Amino acid sequence: MPQQTLYPRGTLKKIVKAHSNKPLSKNVDILIFLNYTLFLQDLMREASISAKQNRSGTRGGAGITARDVRKVREGVLRKYKG
Amino acid sequence: MSDSPRKKQRITPRNSDVHESVNTETPYLNLRQLAGAIQNPITPFRRAISAGPTPGSRRTPSIPIRTPGTAARRSANRPIPARRAAPTTPHAIRALRERANAARTPGHNRRRSGRVQRETPRDILRDLSKVLARTTRPVQPSPLVPQPAPRNPALDDFEDGPDPVAPRLSLAISDMYYDDDDSFHEAPPRRSLLPDLPDDVDTGTIHSVELGRRALSEDPRRMFSTRVSERFADLNELGIDAASGFEVDGTFITRRAPLDAEQLLLENDEDLDETTTELQALTGGQGNHRSDIDLGVFGNDDEFDEPTFRFTIPHRTQAAARPGVIEEADEDADEYEDAESDARPQLDIAEGETIGAPELGGYESEGDAGEDLDLQAYREEASAIDRSLQTQSAEGPILNKEVRKQRKGLNISRHGLEYPSFPAVTVRRLATGFSRTQGSNGKINKDTMATIMQATEWFFEQVSDDLASYAQHAGRKMIEEDDVITLMKRQRQITENTTSFSLAQKMLPRELLQELRIPPTPKLKRTKRKRTEMMERGEEEAD
Repeated sequence: MPQQTLYPRGTLKKIVKAHSNKPLSKNVDILIFLNYTLFLQDLMREASISAKQNRSGTRGGAGITARDVRKVREGVLRKYKG
Repeated sequence: MSDSPRKKQRITPRNSDVHESVNTETPYLNLRQLAGAIQNPITPFRRAISAGPTPGSRRTPSIPIRTPGTAARRSANRPIPARRAAPTTPHAIRALRERANAARTPGHNRRRSGRVQRETPRDILRDLSKVLARTTRPVQPSPLVPQPAPRNPALDDFEDGPDPVAPRLSLAISDMYYDDDDSFHEAPPRRSLLPDLPDDVDTGTIHSVELGRRALSEDPRRMFSTRVSERFADLNELGIDAASGFEVDGTFITRRAPLDAEQLLLENDEDLDETTTELQALTGGQGNHRSDIDLGVFGNDDEFDEPTFRFTIPHRTQAAARPGVIEEADEDADEYEDAESDARPQLDIAEGETIGAPELGGYESEGDAGEDLDLQAYREEASAIDRSLQTQSAEGPILNKEVRKQRKGLNISRHGLEYPSFPAVTVRRLATGFSRTQGSNGKINKDTMATIMQATEWFFEQVSDDLASYAQHAGRKMIEEDDVITLMKRQRQITENTTSFSLAQKMLPRELLQELRIPPTPKLKRTKRKRTEMMERGEEEAD
């Protein structure tokens, strides 16, 4: 399992609080972080798909490049828009 | 049926009679004639089913056996009683007895069946004619009108046409509720709403009528019209008119060639005010919708000819202030005033100059006479500085300032609050793990990492916006679990099959899971009650 340590809870709370200008209840940040992990998972999945599509065959290990992420991130962000 | 040929011969002359004298025509005769026209019935090849079995015949009736019951009955007819068990049910016993009786009196059975069996359409018609013959008489056209003299065939057309329709004695429904119907000058207006109808109208269906409502994107006018002129009305609602700094070009809104800064200053104040309101209208006024607009800017650095609406910010402004700052300027106009009333460094002046329109508009909207003088002085000063400073040179230090801020790890949200950036270590660890599960080697280079961090930043901004709106909608000050769950439902992350807990179990470490598991159930109830209370209170206030 990749996630074995905690994330900085205070930091995340501060970020959300600054952006929304509203206080957070006690454990919301966990759910938000959960949402963020889902988002990142989607982002990486889409990016790797895009990487494989672009360089299928030409190179062996299709690493995810910045270009892939940039191409994909708008769509994933849209998906995560409430 | 032996007499049918004779009858036929008798009928034929009468037929010709009928042709000659129409007057003697009766239903009886017609029926007789019809019966004669029908072909003589042939004795059916098979007896009718209802007629029962032919006595004595050994052949099984050619009825398709469908049920075991019929099969049993069929075998009952066979003279092999030894093989068959005696019928046990009363129904079967009775049926068997009847069958035996029928077999014992063959003549009776045949005679009766013959009559029923040979029923043909001809016979039916004959029966009918016999019944009708007693009461009917030949039709006499009551006044025997002599044939009118032959006339102009053109006029005959009118004469021969059907009688004019008798005038209707009741009112048509459409005329029912208009008393002043005879004034033909004013056509009754068609209303988009349902008219007030009198009480006696059946309003049963009225409430089921759905009023026309259509999404703007599906507007047929927009889909089929290619003329730009038809779109002006819509675009004007956004607050854009031709006099402003934006050109409407089909679906694109492009900024005109940027005016010279001095020229901009020399223009009168109303123009600036207009621009301000436009900017507010374009950015959605209240801050919460801003992320919608931002979405258009995602691929900014990649594709420039993207055919979607994009709010182009003048280059210098973009460099000086990140997109949020414009709204910030509108919202926190007083902050800016504070900043301006200070003895300010030249850089700040340049920045205010580049932000230009919105800030000045905000400033002037609350301006007094004394401040106007200040403003005048400020403008001259600023323009002088602007003249002396090249745009590029003004941009450099500001950019440096931004970079310095980010390096410190403190960004400023559009609410003016500072916040740290999400730690890259965590993101990298997560991303590496995810990419490894996708089958890649899991190495993420610097550029990719920067892009992911940018996406993270946007994500948190977007999520916070949404959560704030949800909390506000629920009438709460605080963002609670409910809001996130609502958000995740809308993201289709939580469905019937997956709850937030199953997701959390999958994605989160155990420590977090335990913290998450304790609160929600009591909290849900409480927030619900609170929400209903809020709603009731709101209603009371509305009353």
